[in-house]
Amino acid sequence: MEEIRGQNTYQIELFERLRRSVSLKKAEECFGCIIKPAFWWIIDKPNPKTKEIEDLLKQSYHSIKKIFTDKSGECLNTLAETLKKSAEHKKLLSFDCMEDFHGFVFPIAQGDKIYGYIGACYSRKEISSEALQIFPAFADTIVKEVQKEIELSKLYETLRPRAIALSTVHTVHRLISSTLDLGELLPRIARLSLQIMRAQRCSVKLVDSKRKLLLPKVTVDLRAKKIRLKKVKVGMWAPGKAFKYGRPVRARDYLATPLIDEDIIGVITLYDKIDKKPFTAFDQEIMSTMAEQAVIAIKNAQLYKEQERLTMGTIKALAKVLDTRAPGTYVPRVSSVKIAQCIGQEQMMDADSLKSLEYASVLHDAGEVFVPKAVLAKPTKLTGKEYKMVKAHPAAGVEIIKHIKALKGVTPIIMYHHENYDGSGYPKGLKKDQIPLGARIMAVVSAFESMISKKPYRAAKSISEAVMEVSRNSGTQFDPKVVDSFLNVMRRKDIKDAVKRDQRESNYIR
Amino acid sequence: MDLNKALKPGIRTKIVNFFHENQSSIDTPRGVAAWIDEDRGKVKKALEELTSCNILIAHRSTSTTGYSYTRDPKLISNIVKLLKKRPA
Repeated sequence: MEEIRGQNTYQIELFERLRRSVSLKKAEECFGCIIKPAFWWIIDKPNPKTKEIEDLLKQSYHSIKKIFTDKSGECLNTLAETLKKSAEHKKLLSFDCMEDFHGFVFPIAQGDKIYGYIGACYSRKEISSEALQIFPAFADTIVKEVQKEIELSKLYETLRPRAIALSTVHTVHRLISSTLDLGELLPRIARLSLQIMRAQRCSVKLVDSKRKLLLPKVTVDLRAKKIRLKKVKVGMWAPGKAFKYGRPVRARDYLATPLIDEDIIGVITLYDKIDKKPFTAFDQEIMSTMAEQAVIAIKNAQLYKEQERLTMGTIKALAKVLDTRAPGTYVPRVSSVKIAQCIGQEQMMDADSLKSLEYASVLHDAGEVFVPKAVLAKPTKLTGKEYKMVKAHPAAGVEIIKHIKALKGVTPIIMYHHENYDGSGYPKGLKKDQIPLGARIMAVVSAFESMISKKPYRAAKSISEAVMEVSRNSGTQFDPKVVDSFLNVMRRKDIKDAVKRDQRESNYIR
Repeated sequence: MDLNKALKPGIRTKIVNFFHENQSSIDTPRGVAAWIDEDRGKVKKALEELTSCNILIAHRSTSTTGYSYTRDPKLISNIVKLLKKRPA
Protein backbone atom coordinates (compact mmCIF):
# COMPACT_ATOMS: atom_id res chain seq x y z
CA MET A 1 0.00 0.00 0.00
CA GLU A 2 1.43 3.36 -0.93
CA GLU A 3 0.19 6.77 0.01
CA ILE A 4 0.48 10.50 -0.30
CA ARG A 5 0.76 12.76 2.77
CA GLY A 6 -1.96 15.18 3.70
CA GLN A 7 -1.97 18.20 5.96
CA ASN A 8 -4.14 18.23 9.03
CA THR A 9 -3.04 16.47 12.24
CA TYR A 10 -5.97 14.08 12.47
CA GLN A 11 -5.58 13.23 8.80
CA ILE A 12 -1.86 12.67 9.19
CA GLU A 13 -2.42 10.34 12.14
CA LEU A 14 -5.31 8.58 10.40
CA PHE A 15 -3.25 7.88 7.28
CA GLU A 16 -0.12 6.99 9.22
CA ARG A 17 -2.08 4.42 11.15
CA LEU A 18 -3.76 3.15 7.96
CA ARG A 19 -0.34 2.81 6.39
CA ARG A 20 0.80 0.68 9.35
CA SER A 21 -2.48 -1.24 9.57
CA VAL A 22 -1.90 -4.98 9.42
CA SER A 23 -5.59 -5.51 8.61
CA LEU A 24 -5.33 -3.25 5.55
CA LYS A 25 -2.21 -5.04 4.36
CA LYS A 26 -4.04 -8.35 4.65
CA ALA A 27 -7.02 -6.90 2.75
CA GLU A 28 -4.60 -5.80 -0.02
CA GLU A 29 -3.14 -9.29 -0.26
CA CYS A 30 -6.56 -10.87 -0.27
CA PHE A 31 -8.06 -8.58 -2.93
CA GLY A 32 -4.77 -8.53 -4.81
CA CYS A 33 -5.38 -12.19 -5.55
CA ILE A 34 -8.74 -11.36 -7.10
CA ILE A 35 -8.00 -8.17 -9.02
CA LYS A 36 -4.30 -8.64 -9.77
CA PRO A 37 -2.06 -7.07 -10.65
CA ALA A 38 -3.60 -4.09 -8.99
CA PHE A 39 -1.59 -1.08 -7.99
CA TRP A 40 -2.76 0.12 -4.56
CA TRP A 41 -2.65 3.68 -3.34
CA ILE A 42 -3.93 6.01 -0.68
CA ILE A 43 -4.64 9.69 -1.26
CA ASP A 44 -5.03 11.67 1.96
CA LYS A 45 -6.66 14.75 0.43
CA PRO A 46 -10.43 15.08 0.22
CA ASN A 47 -10.59 17.14 -3.02
CA PRO A 48 -7.42 16.71 -5.04
CA LYS A 49 -7.30 18.34 -8.48
CA THR A 50 -5.96 16.43 -11.47
CA LYS A 51 -2.65 18.28 -11.38
CA GLU A 52 -2.39 17.74 -7.65
CA ILE A 53 -3.05 14.01 -8.05
CA GLU A 54 -0.34 13.80 -10.67
CA ASP A 55 2.13 15.82 -8.61
CA LEU A 56 1.40 13.92 -5.44
CA LEU A 57 1.65 10.57 -7.17
CA LYS A 58 4.83 11.50 -9.05
CA GLN A 59 6.35 13.08 -5.98
CA SER A 60 5.79 10.00 -3.94
CA TYR A 61 6.17 7.09 -6.29
CA HIS A 62 9.02 6.75 -8.62
CA SER A 63 7.45 3.70 -10.20
CA ILE A 64 4.45 5.75 -11.28
CA LYS A 65 6.61 8.03 -13.39
CA LYS A 66 7.04 5.26 -15.93
CA ILE A 67 3.32 4.66 -16.15
CA PHE A 68 2.61 8.35 -16.55
CA THR A 69 4.77 8.84 -19.55
CA ASP A 70 2.02 8.14 -22.10
CA LYS A 71 -1.64 8.88 -21.87
CA SER A 72 -1.17 10.11 -18.34
CA GLY A 73 -3.63 12.95 -18.95
CA GLU A 74 -6.43 10.58 -19.83
CA CYS A 75 -5.60 8.38 -16.86
CA LEU A 76 -5.51 11.22 -14.35
CA ASN A 77 -8.74 12.75 -15.67
CA THR A 78 -10.52 9.45 -15.20
CA LEU A 79 -9.11 9.08 -11.69
CA ALA A 80 -10.00 12.67 -10.71
CA GLU A 81 -13.52 12.30 -12.02
CA THR A 82 -14.01 9.01 -10.16
CA LEU A 83 -12.63 10.49 -6.93
CA LYS A 84 -15.12 13.35 -7.23
CA LYS A 85 -18.08 11.06 -7.88
CA SER A 86 -17.00 8.71 -5.09
CA ALA A 87 -16.87 11.64 -2.67
CA GLU A 88 -20.31 12.83 -3.80
CA HIS A 89 -21.92 9.41 -3.39
CA LYS A 90 -19.69 8.39 -0.48
CA LYS A 91 -19.28 4.92 -1.86
CA LEU A 92 -16.88 2.71 -3.74
CA LEU A 93 -16.82 3.34 -7.50
CA SER A 94 -15.03 1.34 -10.15
CA PHE A 95 -13.63 2.77 -13.34
CA ASP A 96 -12.06 1.70 -16.66
CA CYS A 97 -8.92 3.42 -17.73
CA MET A 98 -7.22 3.58 -21.11
CA GLU A 99 -7.80 0.38 -23.04
CA ASP A 100 -7.53 -2.64 -20.80
CA PHE A 101 -7.07 -1.27 -17.34
CA HIS A 102 -9.55 -1.21 -14.48
CA GLY A 103 -9.60 0.24 -10.98
CA PHE A 104 -11.73 1.44 -8.08
CA VAL A 105 -11.86 4.29 -5.56
CA PHE A 106 -13.10 3.99 -1.99
CA PRO A 107 -13.68 7.20 0.02
CA ILE A 108 -12.40 7.32 3.62
CA ALA A 109 -15.12 9.20 5.42
CA GLN A 110 -16.46 9.94 8.87
CA GLY A 111 -20.03 11.25 8.79
CA ASP A 112 -20.13 13.82 5.99
CA LYS A 113 -16.43 14.50 6.07
CA ILE A 114 -14.18 12.92 3.45
CA TYR A 115 -10.55 12.53 4.53
CA GLY A 116 -9.10 10.80 1.49
CA TYR A 117 -9.28 7.68 -0.61
CA ILE A 118 -8.04 4.14 -0.90
CA GLY A 119 -7.88 2.82 -4.41
CA ALA A 120 -6.44 0.36 -6.87
CA CYS A 121 -5.44 0.97 -10.49
CA TYR A 122 -4.06 -0.85 -13.48
CA SER A 123 -5.82 -4.08 -12.95
CA ARG A 124 -5.75 -5.97 -16.21
CA LYS A 125 -8.72 -7.99 -15.08
CA GLU A 126 -12.15 -6.43 -14.82
CA ILE A 127 -13.05 -6.10 -11.17
CA SER A 128 -15.90 -8.42 -10.32
CA SER A 129 -19.11 -7.12 -8.77
CA GLU A 130 -18.58 -9.51 -5.81
CA ALA A 131 -15.21 -7.96 -5.09
CA LEU A 132 -16.70 -4.50 -5.39
CA GLN A 133 -19.35 -5.45 -2.85
CA ILE A 134 -17.00 -7.09 -0.35
CA PHE A 135 -14.15 -4.55 -0.38
CA PRO A 136 -16.18 -1.59 1.05
CA ALA A 137 -17.24 -3.72 4.02
CA PHE A 138 -13.60 -4.68 4.68
CA ALA A 139 -12.25 -1.18 4.14
CA ASP A 140 -14.97 0.41 6.22
CA THR A 141 -14.26 -1.89 9.15
CA ILE A 142 -10.52 -1.22 8.89
CA VAL A 143 -10.98 2.56 8.72
CA LYS A 144 -13.37 2.50 11.68
CA GLU A 145 -10.90 0.36 13.62
CA VAL A 146 -8.16 2.90 12.95
CA GLN A 147 -10.45 5.79 13.88
CA LYS A 148 -11.30 4.05 17.16
CA GLU A 149 -7.59 3.54 17.82
CA ILE A 150 -7.06 7.28 17.37
CA GLU A 151 -9.97 8.11 19.68
CA LEU A 152 -8.66 5.72 22.33
CA SER A 153 -5.17 7.07 21.99
CA LYS A 154 -6.41 10.65 22.36
CA LEU A 155 -8.48 9.63 25.37
CA TYR A 156 -5.44 7.92 26.90
CA GLU A 157 -3.27 10.97 26.22
CA THR A 158 -5.85 13.22 27.86
CA LEU A 159 -6.86 11.03 30.77
CA ARG A 160 -3.56 9.47 31.81
CA PRO A 161 -1.77 12.72 32.77
CA ARG A 162 -4.89 13.84 34.63
CA ALA A 163 -5.19 10.51 36.42
CA ILE A 164 -1.49 10.72 37.36
CA ALA A 165 -1.98 14.32 38.53
CA LEU A 166 -5.01 13.23 40.57
CA SER A 167 -3.00 10.44 42.12
CA THR A 168 -0.29 12.99 42.96
CA VAL A 169 -2.84 15.25 44.63
CA HIS A 170 -4.13 12.27 46.62
CA THR A 171 -0.60 11.34 47.73
CA VAL A 172 0.10 14.96 48.67
CA HIS A 173 -3.11 15.02 50.69
CA ARG A 174 -1.99 11.95 52.60
CA LEU A 175 1.49 13.38 53.16
CA ILE A 176 0.33 16.73 54.47
CA SER A 177 -2.60 15.53 56.52
CA SER A 178 -0.41 13.13 58.47
CA THR A 179 1.05 15.91 60.62
CA LEU A 180 -0.61 18.40 62.93
CA ASP A 181 2.62 20.23 63.67
CA LEU A 182 2.68 23.52 61.75
CA GLY A 183 6.47 23.65 62.03
CA GLU A 184 6.64 20.39 60.12
CA LEU A 185 3.61 20.94 57.90
CA LEU A 186 4.51 24.25 56.21
CA PRO A 187 7.99 23.18 55.01
CA ARG A 188 6.43 19.95 53.78
CA ILE A 189 3.81 21.89 51.79
CA ALA A 190 6.57 24.06 50.31
CA ARG A 191 8.76 21.10 49.33
CA LEU A 192 5.86 19.17 47.80
CA SER A 193 4.71 22.25 45.85
CA LEU A 194 8.25 22.71 44.51
CA GLN A 195 8.28 19.09 43.43
CA ILE A 196 4.91 19.16 41.71
CA MET A 197 5.63 22.40 39.87
CA ARG A 198 9.32 21.62 39.23
CA ALA A 199 10.05 25.13 40.47
CA GLN A 200 13.18 26.61 42.02
CA ARG A 201 11.64 28.50 44.94
CA CYS A 202 8.51 28.26 47.04
CA SER A 203 7.34 30.47 49.86
CA VAL A 204 4.37 29.99 52.15
CA LYS A 205 3.05 33.12 53.78
CA LEU A 206 0.26 33.34 56.34
CA VAL A 207 -1.76 36.46 56.96
CA ASP A 208 -1.57 38.74 59.96
CA SER A 209 -4.96 40.32 59.37
CA LYS A 210 -4.56 42.99 62.06
CA ARG A 211 -1.49 44.44 60.36
CA LYS A 212 -2.64 43.62 56.82
CA LEU A 213 0.60 41.76 56.23
CA LEU A 214 1.57 38.40 54.83
CA LEU A 215 4.14 36.91 57.17
CA PRO A 216 6.72 34.57 55.67
CA LYS A 217 6.50 31.21 57.41
CA VAL A 218 8.74 29.14 55.18
CA THR A 219 10.76 29.60 52.01
CA VAL A 220 12.55 26.79 50.21
CA ASP A 221 15.00 27.87 47.51
CA LEU A 222 16.95 25.25 45.61
CA ARG A 223 19.52 27.81 44.45
CA ALA A 224 20.16 30.13 47.38
CA LYS A 225 22.08 29.10 50.48
CA LYS A 226 20.79 32.02 52.49
CA ILE A 227 17.11 32.85 52.38
CA ARG A 228 15.62 36.19 53.35
CA LEU A 229 12.11 35.91 54.65
CA LYS A 230 10.21 38.99 53.51
CA LYS A 231 6.94 40.32 54.83
CA VAL A 232 4.56 41.39 52.09
CA LYS A 233 1.85 44.03 52.34
CA VAL A 234 -1.61 42.99 51.16
CA GLY A 235 -1.97 44.10 47.53
CA MET A 236 1.78 44.23 46.90
CA TRP A 237 3.77 41.84 44.74
CA ALA A 238 2.35 38.53 43.51
CA PRO A 239 1.48 37.05 46.94
CA GLY A 240 -0.09 40.32 48.12
CA LYS A 241 -2.20 40.55 44.97
CA ALA A 242 -3.27 36.90 45.11
CA PHE A 243 -4.34 37.53 48.70
CA LYS A 244 -6.13 40.79 47.92
CA TYR A 245 -8.08 39.48 44.93
CA GLY A 246 -8.60 35.94 46.29
CA ARG A 247 -7.48 34.28 43.06
CA PRO A 248 -4.23 32.92 41.62
CA VAL A 249 -1.81 35.42 40.11
CA ARG A 250 0.25 33.91 37.32
CA ALA A 251 3.04 35.24 35.15
CA ARG A 252 5.82 33.58 33.20
CA ASP A 253 8.11 33.15 36.20
CA TYR A 254 5.79 33.00 39.19
CA LEU A 255 2.51 31.55 40.37
CA ALA A 256 0.87 32.80 43.58
CA THR A 257 -2.07 30.76 44.86
CA PRO A 258 -4.23 31.93 47.76
CA LEU A 259 -5.04 29.54 50.60
CA ILE A 260 -8.78 29.96 50.81
CA ASP A 261 -10.91 28.50 53.58
CA GLU A 262 -13.90 30.56 54.76
CA ASP A 263 -11.52 33.46 54.41
CA ILE A 264 -8.03 33.69 52.93
CA ILE A 265 -5.40 32.52 55.39
CA GLY A 266 -2.27 32.87 53.26
CA VAL A 267 -0.58 32.39 49.91
CA ILE A 268 1.73 29.78 48.37
CA THR A 269 4.04 31.34 45.79
CA LEU A 270 6.26 29.46 43.37
CA TYR A 271 9.05 31.02 41.35
CA ASP A 272 11.13 29.97 38.32
CA LYS A 273 10.59 26.55 36.82
CA ILE A 274 13.66 24.32 36.66
CA ASP A 275 13.29 23.92 32.88
CA LYS A 276 12.78 27.71 32.54
CA LYS A 277 9.36 27.15 30.95
CA PRO A 278 6.47 29.46 31.91
CA PHE A 279 3.83 28.51 34.48
CA THR A 280 0.75 27.25 32.65
CA ALA A 281 -3.01 27.19 33.20
CA PHE A 282 -2.67 23.48 34.06
CA ASP A 283 -0.06 24.37 36.73
CA GLN A 284 -2.52 26.92 38.11
CA GLU A 285 -5.26 24.28 38.22
CA ILE A 286 -3.01 21.79 40.03
CA MET A 287 -1.76 24.40 42.52
CA SER A 288 -5.33 25.49 43.27
CA THR A 289 -6.14 21.88 44.18
CA MET A 290 -2.92 21.66 46.19
CA ALA A 291 -3.86 24.88 48.02
CA GLU A 292 -7.29 23.43 48.87
CA GLN A 293 -5.58 20.43 50.47
CA ALA A 294 -2.99 22.62 52.18
CA VAL A 295 -5.53 24.97 53.71
CA ILE A 296 -7.40 22.09 55.35
CA ALA A 297 -4.17 20.70 56.77
CA ILE A 298 -3.05 24.16 57.99
CA LYS A 299 -6.43 24.84 59.60
CA ASN A 300 -6.36 21.44 61.31
CA ALA A 301 -2.84 22.08 62.60
CA GLN A 302 -3.82 25.54 63.82
CA LEU A 303 -6.89 24.12 65.58
CA TYR A 304 -4.80 21.36 67.12
CA LYS A 305 -2.24 23.90 68.32
CA GLU A 306 -5.03 26.01 69.76
CA GLN A 307 -6.47 22.98 71.51
CA GLU A 308 -3.04 22.15 72.90
CA ARG A 309 -2.64 25.71 74.12
CA LEU A 310 -6.05 25.49 75.74
CA THR A 311 -5.20 22.18 77.42
CA MET A 312 -1.85 23.51 78.66
CA GLY A 313 -3.58 26.69 79.83
CA THR A 314 -6.12 24.62 81.76
CA ILE A 315 -3.35 22.55 83.31
CA LYS A 316 -1.37 25.64 84.29
CA ALA A 317 -4.49 27.27 85.73
CA LEU A 318 -5.13 24.12 87.74
CA ALA A 319 -1.52 24.15 88.94
CA LYS A 320 -1.84 27.81 89.94
CA VAL A 321 -4.99 27.08 91.94
CA LEU A 322 -3.26 24.16 93.67
CA ASP A 323 -0.19 26.31 94.22
CA THR A 324 -2.12 28.80 96.32
CA ARG A 325 -2.37 26.08 98.94
CA ALA A 326 1.34 25.33 99.03
CA PRO A 327 3.27 27.94 97.03
CA GLY A 328 5.98 26.50 94.85
CA THR A 329 4.71 22.93 95.03
CA TYR A 330 2.84 22.62 91.75
CA VAL A 331 4.25 25.17 89.32
CA PRO A 332 7.13 23.22 87.74
CA ARG A 333 10.54 24.51 86.85
CA VAL A 334 10.95 25.22 83.14
CA SER A 335 14.15 23.18 83.20
CA SER A 336 12.36 20.11 84.62
CA VAL A 337 9.87 20.11 81.75
CA LYS A 338 12.77 20.45 79.33
CA ILE A 339 14.81 17.66 80.96
CA ALA A 340 11.78 15.33 80.83
CA GLN A 341 11.24 16.14 77.14
CA CYS A 342 14.91 15.57 76.28
CA ILE A 343 14.99 12.22 78.08
CA GLY A 344 11.75 11.27 76.29
CA GLN A 345 13.34 12.15 72.95
CA GLU A 346 16.44 10.09 73.78
CA GLN A 347 14.13 7.22 74.63
CA MET A 348 12.48 7.61 71.17
CA MET A 349 9.06 8.51 72.54
CA ASP A 350 6.50 9.55 69.92
CA ALA A 351 4.99 13.05 69.76
CA ASP A 352 1.84 12.11 71.70
CA SER A 353 3.83 10.49 74.52
CA LEU A 354 6.13 13.52 74.70
CA LYS A 355 3.10 15.77 74.99
CA SER A 356 1.70 13.60 77.82
CA LEU A 357 5.10 13.81 79.52
CA GLU A 358 4.98 17.60 79.25
CA TYR A 359 1.52 17.73 80.84
CA ALA A 360 2.58 15.25 83.51
CA SER A 361 5.59 17.45 84.36
CA VAL A 362 3.06 20.02 85.58
CA LEU A 363 0.48 17.74 87.13
CA HIS A 364 2.35 14.72 88.54
CA ASP A 365 1.96 15.80 92.17
CA ALA A 366 -1.52 17.35 91.85
CA GLY A 367 -2.91 14.64 94.16
CA GLU A 368 -0.86 16.06 97.05
CA VAL A 369 -3.63 18.61 97.37
CA PHE A 370 -5.47 15.96 99.39
CA VAL A 371 -2.51 15.40 101.71
CA PRO A 372 -2.51 17.67 104.75
CA LYS A 373 0.05 20.47 104.51
CA ALA A 374 1.51 19.48 107.89
CA VAL A 375 2.24 15.99 106.59
CA LEU A 376 3.97 17.26 103.43
CA ALA A 377 6.12 19.69 105.44
CA LYS A 378 6.83 17.32 108.34
CA PRO A 379 10.58 17.42 109.07
CA THR A 380 10.58 14.11 110.97
CA LYS A 381 9.70 10.56 109.95
CA LEU A 382 6.06 10.06 108.84
CA THR A 383 3.77 7.81 110.84
CA GLY A 384 2.18 4.82 109.12
CA LYS A 385 -1.08 6.70 108.70
CA GLU A 386 0.70 9.76 107.28
CA TYR A 387 2.73 7.64 104.86
CA LYS A 388 -0.49 5.98 103.70
CA MET A 389 -1.89 9.45 102.92
CA VAL A 390 1.22 10.35 100.91
CA LYS A 391 1.08 7.04 99.03
CA ALA A 392 -2.49 7.85 98.02
CA HIS A 393 -1.51 11.06 96.18
CA PRO A 394 -0.87 9.49 92.71
CA ALA A 395 -4.36 7.96 92.66
CA ALA A 396 -5.80 11.24 93.94
CA GLY A 397 -4.00 13.07 91.10
CA VAL A 398 -5.56 10.69 88.58
CA GLU A 399 -8.99 11.40 90.09
CA ILE A 400 -8.48 15.11 89.44
CA ILE A 401 -7.67 14.74 85.73
CA LYS A 402 -9.56 11.61 84.75
CA HIS A 403 -12.48 13.54 83.21
CA ILE A 404 -10.22 15.52 80.88
CA LYS A 405 -10.07 13.41 77.72
CA ALA A 406 -6.98 15.20 76.39
CA LEU A 407 -5.06 14.02 79.47
CA LYS A 408 -5.76 10.31 79.01
CA GLY A 409 -2.09 9.64 78.25
CA VAL A 410 -1.02 11.49 81.40
CA THR A 411 -2.82 9.25 83.91
CA PRO A 412 -0.35 6.29 83.85
CA ILE A 413 2.55 8.71 84.34
CA ILE A 414 0.89 10.33 87.36
CA MET A 415 -0.30 7.00 88.73
CA TYR A 416 3.09 5.29 88.63
CA HIS A 417 5.72 8.02 88.93
CA HIS A 418 6.52 6.90 92.50
CA GLU A 419 7.08 3.29 91.51
CA ASN A 420 10.71 2.16 91.88
CA TYR A 421 12.56 0.16 89.27
CA ASP A 422 13.27 -2.61 91.78
CA GLY A 423 9.60 -2.87 92.82
CA SER A 424 9.97 -1.07 96.14
CA GLY A 425 7.85 1.96 95.23
CA TYR A 426 4.13 2.75 95.46
CA PRO A 427 1.18 2.54 94.86
CA LYS A 428 1.37 -0.96 93.30
CA GLY A 429 4.97 -2.04 93.71
CA LEU A 430 5.47 -2.43 89.96
CA LYS A 431 8.97 -3.17 88.73
CA LYS A 432 11.09 -2.66 85.60
CA ASP A 433 9.09 -2.58 82.34
CA GLN A 434 5.80 -2.98 84.25
CA ILE A 435 6.21 0.72 85.02
CA PRO A 436 5.23 2.88 82.01
CA LEU A 437 8.24 4.62 80.39
CA GLY A 438 6.75 8.08 81.01
CA ALA A 439 6.44 7.28 84.72
CA ARG A 440 10.04 5.99 84.87
CA ILE A 441 11.21 9.26 83.31
CA MET A 442 9.02 11.36 85.59
CA ALA A 443 10.41 9.47 88.62
CA VAL A 444 13.94 10.61 87.76
CA VAL A 445 13.02 14.20 86.86
CA SER A 446 10.71 14.63 89.85
CA ALA A 447 13.36 13.27 92.26
CA PHE A 448 16.06 15.49 90.74
CA GLU A 449 13.80 18.54 90.95
CA SER A 450 12.95 17.77 94.56
CA MET A 451 16.62 17.29 95.51
CA ILE A 452 17.75 20.67 94.15
CA SER A 453 14.82 22.44 95.87
CA LYS A 454 14.90 23.73 99.40
CA LYS A 455 12.40 21.93 101.61
CA PRO A 456 11.05 22.97 105.04
CA TYR A 457 12.81 19.98 106.50
CA ARG A 458 16.16 20.12 104.58
CA ALA A 459 18.46 22.30 102.51
CA ALA A 460 18.67 22.03 98.71
CA LYS A 461 21.38 19.84 97.19
CA SER A 462 23.70 21.25 94.55
CA ILE A 463 23.08 20.23 90.94
CA SER A 464 26.10 17.94 90.82
CA GLU A 465 25.15 16.33 94.15
CA ALA A 466 21.64 15.69 92.86
CA VAL A 467 22.95 14.24 89.59
CA MET A 468 25.26 11.91 91.56
CA GLU A 469 22.38 10.87 93.79
CA VAL A 470 20.26 9.97 90.75
CA SER A 471 23.19 8.03 89.29
CA ARG A 472 23.71 6.18 92.60
CA ASN A 473 20.11 4.98 92.54
CA SER A 474 20.28 3.68 88.97
CA GLY A 475 18.96 0.13 88.80
CA THR A 476 17.28 0.33 92.23
CA GLN A 477 15.00 3.35 92.39
CA PHE A 478 15.45 4.37 88.75
CA ASP A 479 15.54 2.67 85.35
CA PRO A 480 19.25 2.51 84.33
CA LYS A 481 18.44 3.37 80.70
CA VAL A 482 16.49 6.44 81.77
CA VAL A 483 19.32 7.43 84.13
CA ASP A 484 21.80 7.11 81.22
CA SER A 485 19.62 9.44 79.16
CA PHE A 486 19.31 11.80 82.13
CA LEU A 487 23.09 11.92 82.51
CA ASN A 488 23.47 12.62 78.77
CA VAL A 489 20.92 15.42 78.96
CA MET A 490 22.55 16.92 82.05
CA ARG A 491 25.85 17.20 80.16
CA ARG A 492 24.24 19.70 77.78
CA LYS A 493 25.21 23.31 78.41
CA ASP A 494 21.73 24.68 77.58
CA ILE A 495 20.17 22.32 80.14
CA LYS A 496 22.74 23.15 82.83
CA ASP A 497 22.13 26.87 82.20
CA ALA A 498 18.36 26.40 82.39
CA VAL A 499 18.61 24.51 85.70
CA LYS A 500 20.90 27.21 87.15
CA ARG A 501 18.56 29.96 85.95
CA ASP A 502 15.60 28.18 87.55
CA GLN A 503 17.52 27.80 90.81
CA ARG A 504 18.39 31.52 90.83
CA GLU A 505 14.83 32.56 90.02
CA SER A 506 13.08 30.24 92.49
CA ASN A 507 12.93 32.03 95.76
CA TYR A 508 10.24 29.79 97.08
CA ILE A 509 10.48 26.61 99.04
CA ARG A 510 9.68 23.40 97.21
CA MET B 1 24.36 1.70 43.53
CA ASP B 2 25.63 3.62 40.49
CA LEU B 3 23.41 4.92 37.70
CA ASN B 4 24.48 2.21 35.26
CA LYS B 5 23.51 -0.55 37.64
CA ALA B 6 20.32 1.21 38.74
CA LEU B 7 19.08 1.47 35.19
CA LYS B 8 19.61 -2.09 34.03
CA PRO B 9 16.52 -3.28 32.13
CA GLY B 10 13.74 -4.24 34.49
CA ILE B 11 11.44 -2.79 37.08
CA ARG B 12 13.79 0.06 38.10
CA THR B 13 14.03 1.27 34.52
CA LYS B 14 10.24 1.12 34.20
CA ILE B 15 9.91 3.25 37.33
CA VAL B 16 12.50 5.78 36.14
CA ASN B 17 10.78 5.94 32.74
CA PHE B 18 7.48 6.65 34.50
CA PHE B 19 8.93 9.44 36.63
CA HIS B 20 10.92 10.84 33.71
CA GLU B 21 7.74 11.09 31.63
CA ASN B 22 5.75 12.46 34.60
CA GLN B 23 8.25 14.65 36.37
CA SER B 24 5.61 16.43 38.47
CA SER B 25 4.32 13.18 39.87
CA ILE B 26 4.53 12.24 43.54
CA ASP B 27 3.18 8.79 44.16
CA THR B 28 3.04 5.96 46.67
CA PRO B 29 4.38 2.45 45.97
CA ARG B 30 0.78 1.36 45.35
CA GLY B 31 0.25 4.18 42.82
CA VAL B 32 3.51 3.57 40.97
CA ALA B 33 2.82 -0.17 40.87
CA ALA B 34 -0.53 0.58 39.21
CA TRP B 35 0.98 2.94 36.61
CA ILE B 36 3.69 0.54 35.53
CA ASP B 37 1.62 -2.60 36.08
CA GLU B 38 4.04 -4.36 38.42
CA ASP B 39 3.90 -6.08 41.81
CA ARG B 40 3.64 -3.60 44.71
CA GLY B 41 6.24 -5.34 46.89
CA LYS B 42 8.83 -5.35 44.11
CA VAL B 43 8.02 -1.73 43.25
CA LYS B 44 8.44 -0.70 46.90
CA LYS B 45 11.89 -2.30 47.04
CA ALA B 46 12.94 -0.75 43.73
CA LEU B 47 11.69 2.70 44.82
CA GLU B 48 13.90 2.56 47.90
CA GLU B 49 16.89 1.46 45.80
CA LEU B 50 16.33 4.35 43.40
CA THR B 51 15.99 6.73 46.37
CA SER B 52 19.31 5.53 47.76
CA CYS B 53 21.04 6.54 44.52
CA ASN B 54 19.25 9.93 44.46
CA ILE B 55 17.26 9.25 41.29
CA LEU B 56 14.10 9.57 43.36
CA ILE B 57 13.23 11.69 46.37
CA ALA B 58 11.28 10.05 49.22
CA HIS B 59 8.74 12.22 51.04
CA ARG B 60 8.14 10.29 54.24
CA SER B 61 5.27 10.71 56.67
CA THR B 62 3.82 8.56 59.42
CA SER B 63 1.08 7.20 57.16
CA THR B 64 2.85 6.77 53.82
CA THR B 65 5.85 7.60 51.65
CA GLY B 66 5.51 9.53 48.41
CA TYR B 67 8.24 9.25 45.80
CA SER B 68 9.15 11.86 43.21
CA TYR B 69 11.77 12.42 40.52
CA THR B 70 15.14 14.05 41.11
CA ARG B 71 15.42 17.79 40.49
CA ASP B 72 19.11 17.60 39.57
CA PRO B 73 19.39 18.61 35.87
CA LYS B 74 22.80 16.95 35.48
CA LEU B 75 21.52 13.65 36.86
CA ILE B 76 18.41 13.89 34.65
CA SER B 77 20.60 14.45 31.60
CA ASN B 78 22.66 11.34 32.47
CA ILE B 79 19.47 9.36 32.99
CA VAL B 80 18.21 10.45 29.54
CA LYS B 81 21.41 9.20 27.92
CA LEU B 82 21.11 5.82 29.65
CA LEU B 83 17.38 5.47 28.95
CA LYS B 84 18.01 6.07 25.25
CA LYS B 85 20.53 3.24 25.27
CA ARG B 86 18.35 0.93 27.34
CA PRO B 87 14.63 1.38 26.83
CA ALA B 88 12.46 -0.40 29.43
